[in-house]
Amino acid sequence: MSLWLAGLALLLVKIGLVLFVVLTGAAYLVLAERKLLARFQLRLGPNRAGPLGIWQPLADALKLLMKEDTVPAGADRPLFLAAPAMSAATAMLIFAVVPFGDSLTIAGRPVPLVVADVSVGLLFVLALSSIGVYGVVLGGWASNSSFSLLGAIRGGAQMISYELPLALSLAPVVMLAGSFSLVDIVSAQAGCPFIVKQPAAFLIFCVSALAESKRLPFDLPEAENELMAGYHTEYSGMRFGLYFVGEYVNMIALGCLVAVFFLGGWRGPLLPPFVWLMLKAALVPLVLIWVRATLPRLRFDQLMHSSWKVLTPLALANILVTGGLMAALG
Amino acid sequence: MQTSALVLFVIHALIIGVGGIMAVASRSLVRALVGLIMTLFGVSGMYLLLNAPFIALMQLLIYVGAVVILIFFAIMLTKAPAGGEEERPNQVRTYLLALMAGVLPTFVIGWVVLTDQPASINAPLETGLKALGQGLMEPYFLAFELISVVLLVAMSAAVILAFKRRQSR
Repeated sequence: MSLWLAGLALLLVKIGLVLFVVLTGAAYLVLAERKLLARFQLRLGPNRAGPLGIWQPLADALKLLMKEDTVPAGADRPLFLAAPAMSAATAMLIFAVVPFGDSLTIAGRPVPLVVADVSVGLLFVLALSSIGVYGVVLGGWASNSSFSLLGAIRGGAQMISYELPLALSLAPVVMLAGSFSLVDIVSAQAGCPFIVKQPAAFLIFCVSALAESKRLPFDLPEAENELMAGYHTEYSGMRFGLYFVGEYVNMIALGCLVAVFFLGGWRGPLLPPFVWLMLKAALVPLVLIWVRATLPRLRFDQLMHSSWKVLTPLALANILVTGGLMAALG
Repeated sequence: MQTSALVLFVIHALIIGVGGIMAVASRSLVRALVGLIMTLFGVSGMYLLLNAPFIALMQLLIYVGAVVILIFFAIMLTKAPAGGEEERPNQVRTYLLALMAGVLPTFVIGWVVLTDQPASINAPLETGLKALGQGLMEPYFLAFELISVVLLVAMSAAVILAFKRRQSR
């Protein structure tokens, strides 16, 4: 019984730590994005709250919490209230299967540094990303506004179109690792990270993940100069904030997933595993911010074209080539 | 272990039942769809209880993640109003037939399960992914391919219908 309780306590500690790091990371990612965007556009960015603006995330969170929480007339109230939580919760749940180190030994027992080593972890991640669509679709529909509805339709179309290449690009990774578990995928990269063996899969995954994150150049669901703010036009206060928490947590999650699937996860020389994972995971958000400052928005036909006629066939061909090579090389 | 499994079974059965009632009884189409999603989640939980995590997540990925989103799409694009011929009260005969359609399978399946218990009913065994894949690719290859033919037919029919409408315009 005491062992069972100790296990539960350990699990809670792990969940608490992971959520703390992720949420703090997301808050400071907002600041980093504002600072970097300002630099790209020859501005200074937020610099009033504390030295170099380091208290800005706290001020933003406080402001969002104090704002009035409005529900538009004619909205589907329960769905309207629940939708932002779906966006944020699905993004945070991804971290349940991300391994952030090898197992530690505490009191003679091995403690794996992952919240849950699920045997089908990769499918868990894909399922969460497809459930995340509901935050956008339900929120947009329940708002009873044309802008929101258009944003929701675009968001739904975009996200289900890019889920296909996203999932297909990971098939070669599973074939090489021989497992769906993220822990096994990381240990399969002990010799050489999969980016070396699977550069095409890496590129397809990155582009599809960028589209899934609904950021420029794929921000058609929000497109502020056509749809005001798309699916979250009618949201205010912390519910609006939850969509943003979801977006930024999702950026960090994508970073972690790219690190786990292609860059060898927590593996690396000298530095501790957790630091390596954080360094690798920081790459994707930084590139996402850079891309946002650089590229214009795609047209809708270009968006669909690149998913169905370029990325999906490429991902399928990549699976065939990988399978052929694996069979040929034994 | 047995009692906790039973408790989880009841919770999932309740989720499935409530979701099903919501799907049938809601006036708003989107609410009905949310009920359907609840049911699909409950079924996926049942698969987890049966120790089949792969099937459970596939259920979420395919049904919740793709099929229901497509239905959503149709609803949002057409902005279908609530109400219609389903809303008129049915004849008693229809209700009786519906009840029979529900009760009959329950009895047949219940009878089969009670008289001929599968070995896995007490402690479900997890089938490894390798065994599952080999099963699909070796003994059940024909069935697997036939399903893909069905999907291919549906897909090409959709494309043909879409092109026909474009030409007649």
